[in-house]
Amino acid sequence: MSGEVYIAGIGSTAFGRQPDVSLLELAAEAGRRALADAGIKPADVGIGFFANALAGKLFGDLTIGQNVFAALGMSRLPIANVENACTSGSTAFYLACLAVRAGEVDCAMVIGAEKMCVPQLGLLSSGDSELDTLLGLVTPASFAMRARRHMAEFGTTVEQLAQVSVKNRSHGVLNALAQFRSEVSLGEVLASPMIADPLTRFQSCPIADGASALIVCSESMARRLGARITVRAATLSTGNYDNPQDMVRWRTDREGVEKAYEIAGVGPADLDVIECHDAFTIAEILHYEALGLCPVGEGGRLVAEGVTALGGSKPVNVSGGLLARGHPVGATGVEQIVELTRQLRGNAGARQVHGARLGLAHCMGGDRAADTKSMTVAVLAA
Amino acid sequence: MTGTMCGDVTEPAELVPGLVERVNGRGPYALVGSRCPDCGATVFPSVVRCPYCQGQPLRQGVGAAGSLYTYTVVRTRAPFGLPEPYAVGYVDLDGSGLRVFGLIDPAMADELTVGQRVEVGLMRLGVDGQGRPCLRPVFRSEHPTASEVGR
Ligand SMILES: [Zn+2]
Repeated sequence: MSGEVYIAGIGSTAFGRQPDVSLLELAAEAGRRALADAGIKPADVGIGFFANALAGKLFGDLTIGQNVFAALGMSRLPIANVENACTSGSTAFYLACLAVRAGEVDCAMVIGAEKMCVPQLGLLSSGDSELDTLLGLVTPASFAMRARRHMAEFGTTVEQLAQVSVKNRSHGVLNALAQFRSEVSLGEVLASPMIADPLTRFQSCPIADGASALIVCSESMARRLGARITVRAATLSTGNYDNPQDMVRWRTDREGVEKAYEIAGVGPADLDVIECHDAFTIAEILHYEALGLCPVGEGGRLVAEGVTALGGSKPVNVSGGLLARGHPVGATGVEQIVELTRQLRGNAGARQVHGARLGLAHCMGGDRAADTKSMTVAVLAA
Repeated sequence: MTGTMCGDVTEPAELVPGLVERVNGRGPYALVGSRCPDCGATVFPSVVRCPYCQGQPLRQGVGAAGSLYTYTVVRTRAPFGLPEPYAVGYVDLDGSGLRVFGLIDPAMADELTVGQRVEVGLMRLGVDGQGRPCLRPVFRSEHPTASEVGR
């Protein structure tokens, strides 16, 4: 086992509609903030990873990472561009941790950015030429079908689903970078337009422009910088695609989580703060169950009882999550880890989870054969 | 546009040729996948090589009917000229046991329940990538609806 990996710096832009700022400017701003936060110079970084999911499709731009790092005065180091749907950013983080843990570099930088509030966005799917897409499988439908099955098998109610939005929107009020900063009531969530039964618009995360950045480093560099947040596990999993898939006992989700718990030597009882991929309300409920926060089928009850709200015993998505913070796809997986770092440093202001020592970030991306294409987990400790 | 049953003289082409076949050329419609003679795996849709052992699979019907595992009615702007709203679901196919995603007859959108019986059909529904009307496989009620009976 090689050396430990530390988080040395974090930086984010605001998330939301930012029509006057280019993708490159968003990404570079997050990068500048992370370098300043770490207290390092561009020359201290040994490798750069740039995560983005949609610019190739929306703007026809490719290999953007080199442009972003060049704008930060970083042009001779190795740079890789990473696309893994919603886990693009957390996959880049995973690769950065590998590079540092392997001893290849002392310091790696991750920037995740997305600019998607543009007219040409259209409907998001898992691939324009895939059969499921041609047969009408848009992203909300995929999660709506999980919700319908969860309701049929376990008696989960639309009110329990909606409570996830109520909770995360109330958290977003406390996050200055979040896209939505107002509360919504249960009635408002349920009365918002139906997107794909039983999921309404306020149960679907908003698209956003935004960027987040992270600096990870070796133990020796962390000592020099005074960085004290460690990466206890950083995992990347892929779906199994076996048929049939149980859409409410998500095997890939559960196995991905178990792998991270094993590497970190922790279990659900040890977690103080969790960021998970609440692209839709049902997703957060399914992830509670995969994370072992409650038995399978009881995720709806868990949120209804307030256990996962700020002030509860297992606070989830105190940043507002995707539902309130917004979901600039390439930035999301990075921002989850940025938020955990703020929490573990004790710098999260009004939404601070008091005494948080151990945090977990969980992200999923893509859809194939009723399974996820990609899943990441990161476990961080103070 | 709303879907109409195929069968008129101006019948458009299938979206994905070979995805659906009539059993014995004139029986009920069945979805067609692949079965690998080397490892026994059955997959849908069909593949050129078996994903489990890289063997050379044979075309095989994977089911003509089944029960609805889950569903939703999509009310966003519909892709590919599909009706608004349109229904989709996963169906547990009799025989192969595969759980397969597909469109559901739009006429059934308001009366769907988990577990209900459906059969495979082929309907004029939406357009292809070039904007041409086309036939898509659908899951529909096992018993003919009134409109089909009158056809
Ligand atoms: Zn085989």
